[in-house]
Amino acid sequence: MFDAVQRNLPFLLAGFLMNLQLAACALAGGIFLGMLVGLGRISKRRWIYGPVTAYVNVLRNIPLILVIFWFYFVMPILVGKTLHPFVSAAISFIVFEATYFGEIFRAGYQSISRDLVAAAYSTGLTYWQTARYIMIPIAFRRMLPSMITQSIITFQDTSLAYVIGLQEMVRRTTIVDSMEVRSIELYGFVAVMFFVFCFAGSRVSRYFEEKSRKANIL
Amino acid sequence: MIEIRNLSKWYGKFQVLSDINEVIKKGQTVVVCGPSGSGKSTLLRCINGLEPFQKGEILVDGVSVGDPKTNLYKLRQKIGMVFQRFELYPHMTVLKNITLAPMKVKKLSRKEAERKAMELLERVGIPEKANEYPANLSGGQQQRVAIARALAMEPEYMMFDEPTSALDPEMIQEVLEVMIDLAKEGMTMIVVTHEMGFAREVADEIIFMDGGKIVERGTGEEFFTNPKHPRTKEFLSQILK
Repeated sequence: MFDAVQRNLPFLLAGFLMNLQLAACALAGGIFLGMLVGLGRISKRRWIYGPVTAYVNVLRNIPLILVIFWFYFVMPILVGKTLHPFVSAAISFIVFEATYFGEIFRAGYQSISRDLVAAAYSTGLTYWQTARYIMIPIAFRRMLPSMITQSIITFQDTSLAYVIGLQEMVRRTTIVDSMEVRSIELYGFVAVMFFVFCFAGSRVSRYFEEKSRKANIL
Repeated sequence: MIEIRNLSKWYGKFQVLSDINEVIKKGQTVVVCGPSGSGKSTLLRCINGLEPFQKGEILVDGVSVGDPKTNLYKLRQKIGMVFQRFELYPHMTVLKNITLAPMKVKKLSRKEAERKAMELLERVGIPEKANEYPANLSGGQQQRVAIARALAMEPEYMMFDEPTSALDPEMIQEVLEVMIDLAKEGMTMIVVTHEMGFAREVADEIIFMDGGKIVERGTGEEFFTNPKHPRTKEFLSQILK
């Protein structure tokens, strides 16, 4: 029954690899930029806070698929040539996901009580020591589950890059399906692949959540 | 010696402290009481520079807290502080909570810091909890760890900000006993508390604050038996009920 999948397996899996690569780029860039966004969102300087907040609000209220599309068509005007779909998609994802990771960082930072920081200061620790030994480790443990969840969402969303012709798994499946006409099996296989990866990810997230709950830091 | 002269502080337009004058000599225990919102906690936080103030002067052993040139990190090393809600580091064991500052600030070796930490845990009566996480301790035990953490820096002064207010009644005594011992050993202490039994036993001076002002001050017995200000009388009648 799954012979259509079997015949095209290498072609399809190469697409899945592309989803993984795109997710890796999106996460590496998105988390790094997200850290800066998070810092901007807690900044007391208005000229930092204002623009960063505007950026977050705009991006978080637009569907990702529009950002991917729009970016792909605008970039050639800005840089003078058409970008490779992978590069264009990666940049769109980084810019988009940074807003979500930024909010996770902001929430993590704001979850640390002022008195806990005061207690650290009162023992003579400096700002940087307090950040390094108290604020960052606690915030990181609190943020980890939502960061994993957001990473899973990002991974699922990489399939949206098919709209600009990126040869990722969903795109390749439509191509195979147009020849084989075996939609149920083919798309079922795609679903299983995504499910296995994402479900494993969410179990990892649950594990960290439980661990933090036991240590009473959530 | 801690000298507070004409200290005033505002949050925006709201005045939280007005014209506070107080001298705390070495070896003294001063108890600060008063209704909530009277500025007691804020006063403590001004003394170790956790909160800025706009007027007046605080001198700790002659060093001005409000002077921007003063190294507050250094100053805080000699003023230990204990908080109402313990504020232990939740991701570290009891032992690590105590050794962090001695190792990072005083650059003690791990061995030396841990030896001292165990001594302090003996002193507050819970050496067996050294490798537990704070979440596995009762409130009274957590507060005793917090006291040990502050003492690990060998401070010359200790400030307590309502150290027993968040505790279940049966745990208050175990914390107070540690504090009474400290006072009797000659530690200089400023204690914000409503535990009048504690005040009676160890306070050299009791200050009553209301609305950001020191309304009344007195030595132990005199403060309880002969309060002068009507606000003090009212407060005492409520708290000693």
